[in-house]
Amino acid sequence: MKTKTIIIFFILILLQGCSTKKVSLKPLATQTDMNLTQKSTALPISSNDEIDNEDFDEEYTNQETDIKDDPFSGYNRLMTTFNDHLFTYALNPLSEGYAYITPEPIRQSVANFIHNLQFPIRFTNNLLQGKLQNSSDELERFIVNTTVGVGGLFDPAHTYMHIPVHNEDFGQTLGSYGIGTGYHIVLPFLGPSNIRDGLGLIADGYLSPLIYQSGLKKYKIPQNYVESIGIYGFDIINKNALHLGAYESLKKDSIDLYPFLRDLYEQKRRSDIAE
Amino acid sequence: MLKKILLLTLIMVFSHGVEEQNIKSVMDTKTKESIKILKNSTLSQKQKEKKIIKIMDPIFSYSTMAKISLGKTWKTLTKKEKKAFTKAFEHKIKRSYIDKLKLYNNQKVMTSSPKKMKSNRIKLTTKIVGNHETYKIINSFFKKKNTNQWYIYDVKLAGVSIIQTFRKQFSAFLKTKSFNQLLKSL
Repeated sequence: MKTKTIIIFFILILLQGCSTKKVSLKPLATQTDMNLTQKSTALPISSNDEIDNEDFDEEYTNQETDIKDDPFSGYNRLMTTFNDHLFTYALNPLSEGYAYITPEPIRQSVANFIHNLQFPIRFTNNLLQGKLQNSSDELERFIVNTTVGVGGLFDPAHTYMHIPVHNEDFGQTLGSYGIGTGYHIVLPFLGPSNIRDGLGLIADGYLSPLIYQSGLKKYKIPQNYVESIGIYGFDIINKNALHLGAYESLKKDSIDLYPFLRDLYEQKRRSDIAE
Repeated sequence: MLKKILLLTLIMVFSHGVEEQNIKSVMDTKTKESIKILKNSTLSQKQKEKKIIKIMDPIFSYSTMAKISLGKTWKTLTKKEKKAFTKAFEHKIKRSYIDKLKLYNNQKVMTSSPKKMKSNRIKLTTKIVGNHETYKIINSFFKKKNTNQWYIYDVKLAGVSIIQTFRKQFSAFLKTKSFNQLLKSL
């Protein structure tokens, strides 16, 4: 009995030291009392042993993706390597050179301008998902940034009004309706995707003022497919120039690049659809 | 008896987590500190990393992270193997975390109230607001049994859980290769 009181006393003193608020003595005493009577031996020496009873497994998915879930894996691997080389040997050096000669505010303005033009995609998809507050946020952002923000070059809606961005696309809209992803496909240049999101990209292409569609000429900025590619290519170079080092940093965590990027992509999509 | 009390004292002091009521304020302070250090141009990269690790160390439970990342394989390991793996994984996680933090050079830190998912699980969302973008970080805390100390077992950046990422990778790796090869690759 005496040793138990000494132990309780010590524990209370130590826990007092750790917290800024006062720890109430009574409940703590009964709890430690109970724990001591339950254990026949001394309290665990290694803190590692305490975690054996916490079950984390149910919070994490365990299934590996096998061949029947990823029938395009052969092609996907090749395309991943292709995209990776394209990035390392073409896109990234271009972005670095571009970043070297272009001051950050200008790069940011280009990004703002293009982001602003993509308003129809975000607005429509927020509406399609029934996210009315978000749609109105996007509308507000568009109006403010186009007027006060000089054609979208600046982003006073974020800087001064703190209106949040709600990035929705048609792939997310389909996902929010419960449509599954379909098989994973790695797209050339664009990177990891899946059947649902690939269709989403095509649908959003109709809404985007930056992608040429032959029937919607007068609503579109580029006059042909080549111009579309030019604009998108420039957008990618510019965006990458604003986030130099991000891809390399990401790659460091990978042991096998293709499954890593695939799982990263799917995790991110699930999280994006959920919110 | 005295030896055991002394040992317990040491454990309590060194394996210092954070108490539930302090989670928000402690994390808020730590995140702001970390960002401040990252922006400090007078420090070298190594000095920055050392300082940030010192800030985050007391609330990260590397052993738990290592255990989760290996899934069912963990139970098949010897004590020695568990120790070696935890050490290697700790090193990898630290590098990975710092690497990612380097890319956040933004200013405003907004920590929302912790969400209690279960009696021993809490999720804390922190938004880092920069000039042009807002980044969301979700820290997942668990409560160590028989204490009221909470530790981080997972961090979600932009919707992607660091531990889930490693877990999937390790399980795919171990399908065709041995544990020792995994240890080596870390």
